Amino acid sequence: MASISARRLAKELREIQGEGCPVGITLLEANDFSKWLFTIQVMGESLYQNEKYVLQFRFDSQYPISSPAVQFVVGEGKEAPIHPHVYSNGHICASILGNEWSPVLNVVAVCVTLQSMLASCKVGHSLSVYMSSRPKWLTLVLFNPLLTSPVDNDRYVRTAPDNPKKTVFHYDDDT
Amino acid sequence: MGNSSSSSSRAHHDDSVDYGSLTPQGVYTGQRDWNQNIVSQLIIARRLAPFYRPLEDYEESWDDDQILAARKDIQDSEHSDNTTTRNDAASIAASHSSSTKSKRSNSLKEPARPEAQIYRGAVECPICFLYYPPNINHSRCCDQAICTECFVQIKRAEPTTTHVVSEPAACPYCVQDNFGIVYTPPPWRAGLGSDGFHGIWSDRSTPEPTNPPTHRRRQKSFGADSPEVVTTDHIRPDWETKLEAVRAAVARRANRRIIMRQVGDRLIPVGVTSGRVHALSPEEAAAAAAAVENAATSSGRRSRRRRPDQQGAFEQFIGMGGQDLEELMLMEAMRLSLLEHEEQQRKEAEEKKKQDASKAAEEGGPGESNSSHETSSSTAMPGPGPSTLEARSTSNLTSSSTSNLSVHGATTTSTPRSSSPSPLPQATNKSSSSSTQPTHVSSLSQDSLSTSTSGSSGTQARSSSWSLSRSRTPPPPPNPVTAAGVPMNEANDAAWRARGSSPGGSSSKSKSALGTLSSAAALTSTSVGAAVLGGSREGSRETSRVPTPEPTSKPEETVQPPPFNPEPAQDLAPAIPSVMTPGTAAIPMITVMNNEDTSTAPLTDELAAAMSEDSRVVEENPFLAPGEDADSSDKTNVTPPSTERSNNLESA
Repeated sequence: MASISARRLAKELREIQGEGCPVGITLLEANDFSKWLFTIQVMGESLYQNEKYVLQFRFDSQYPISSPAVQFVVGEGKEAPIHPHVYSNGHICASILGNEWSPVLNVVAVCVTLQSMLASCKVGHSLSVYMSSRPKWLTLVLFNPLLTSPVDNDRYVRTAPDNPKKTVFHYDDDT
Repeated sequence: MGNSSSSSSRAHHDDSVDYGSLTPQGVYTGQRDWNQNIVSQLIIARRLAPFYRPLEDYEESWDDDQILAARKDIQDSEHSDNTTTRNDAASIAASHSSSTKSKRSNSLKEPARPEAQIYRGAVECPICFLYYPPNINHSRCCDQAICTECFVQIKRAEPTTTHVVSEPAACPYCVQDNFGIVYTPPPWRAGLGSDGFHGIWSDRSTPEPTNPPTHRRRQKSFGADSPEVVTTDHIRPDWETKLEAVRAAVARRANRRIIMRQVGDRLIPVGVTSGRVHALSPEEAAAAAAAVENAATSSGRRSRRRRPDQQGAFEQFIGMGGQDLEELMLMEAMRLSLLEHEEQQRKEAEEKKKQDASKAAEEGGPGESNSSHETSSSTAMPGPGPSTLEARSTSNLTSSSTSNLSVHGATTTSTPRSSSPSPLPQATNKSSSSSTQPTHVSSLSQDSLSTSTSGSSGTQARSSSWSLSRSRTPPPPPNPVTAAGVPMNEANDAAWRARGSSPGGSSSKSKSALGTLSSAAALTSTSVGAAVLGGSREGSRETSRVPTPEPTSKPEETVQPPPFNPEPAQDLAPAIPSVMTPGTAAIPMITVMNNEDTSTAPLTDELAAAMSEDSRVVEENPFLAPGEDADSSDKTNVTPPSTERSNNLESA
């Protein structure tokens, strides 16, 4: 065995299985040390009430020195949350997944951070862009007129690499 | 293998410090890009905790056997990790427990085992989740434990060409800049640097659980420049060099230009200049040499483990080379697409050519065609494939460019033709022969390493074939002696056509297109003058050709080969278009570099007026494809691409 990544993930997994995940987060799949899936729900009153999203972690052999590749799963009936920091292909613009990653963080910490990122997204708190090119979101947009995808969503999704870690995000909004 | 070497190194006091090692124990498998010499010295100086073999787990109640059993031999697993890529959680757990059991039963039953004692009060590293002896490093800022294995992994984010900054690594715990550690060594010493010190339990007959040196939380944090602090930059002193390398690469990229050629109303990318000025700076070269030396001298027991360290140095340079390779591949792709385009053009022009050629033969005198036939045959000698053709076309371009100059001269002095015809065939021959080596790729690499610009037109033609590198350097003004121009007549035309029939024939144009970027730049302004002059002088005369460098389409209307013109008093007008014809081949080469340097050609008032008048013609005067133009006999003005347009082609 043995890369540091497998070693550490084994311990994280043991901890998750022993102590369980925080509220709203469940381990969906961890068959190996390259990809884990979690479901994530935002607790309490929020724009994402009653929504359940699937969060995917991909690890390379240098985890935890290098950050995991984290994104929401899109497809097969799953959707990414509509959020100014979440692209419709599931990629997430969050600094802790990029330049502010620290090896001291772990999988559960990332889950909790993203959960709170969603939870803190209140109406009136986000950028306001009318996404005319995405009619299927119109209803949502109407209900929550300020809740949208990132401004550059369409352009980004068109050209985004498979691995979100290959994207250099510009963290300009810390809402 | 890893096992034996690691255990033997531990047995020798020479290689160990306080029962730890000078080298990593394989927790991390990636590249070891820190300076191992510095790390070793810091460990020996007791400023950095040695690399201890970690414990998978630790319980206070464990006895020595259990501790030693939990002391995983990571070297083994690291080795096997190369072959087995991924294990699932279950199998890892199984192998873990089984190996623990077997080791436990095999462990020796000696009474005094400081190797186990040092793990008393083991501390879990919060990053790798493994347990280490309590004499572990602590972050200078927030006093958190971090093992040496993890510490050496933390470094500045590598600068990239899109993010050309290098910020000091931040503390993984408190995110303070300039991450560094402070190490408090144990009160005893063993191994290297232990002379004059008491061993850990040397003064005791029986090992009893001693109070492990517990870490007292300190109140203050150390500054990054405190003498006891070891920062991530200390063990990677090359970070500045790397940053400089990336900066240089970015600068090089910024200097790169895409060279476009205008065909019809289309702009076709024909190449990319390289902004590189030099291959390696002296420091880089020295570093590379040192890396080679180190790799060579580090043979022996540790060579396998040191190699990755050295490779880090190499990869830097290999990566730089890769960018040039990338350029080459891009150019090749462009060339191929050009070929396709030209092949089609050539076929279209072929039929017109035959008719025109016969027409031209009637007009031209037999003696002239003979003499120029020699010239053209010498240049069109079938050589080793594309390189000869390439040479031929570049030489043609060169001479044609110079012919433009001579036209200027003629215009200004009102002397139709002053240069002697004899140098021309020589020059053409020279340039073609000098570049006949079939190894244009290697000559390319030479070129890209050299910054010199050749002076003679012959070498200029040669070096300008595939000239990737020195394009920023303005070429010397074309030599007027060779400016007689390539005589264009039926025979030459035939030579062109013969060339064009070979697959390399059409490629020659694109290669020359690539090659003449600098000379083309030089030509742009001069060609303007010539073209406009010709147009204004000639009025509606149909002689002027479109500036497509299509070789096969050039010559049909050029009747008088100027150098061999027997009548010096001949009217200037016919001479100009004939000279212009080859000259136009260079015009469509759009390059933004040093255009201003080349505008030194003498301009008559007439010419200047014509230029100002026609300076914008390019916008509505697309260079027609030769096929169309062969028919249209009314097109007279050949105008260069305007500078502002070519500026748009700059690729940042």
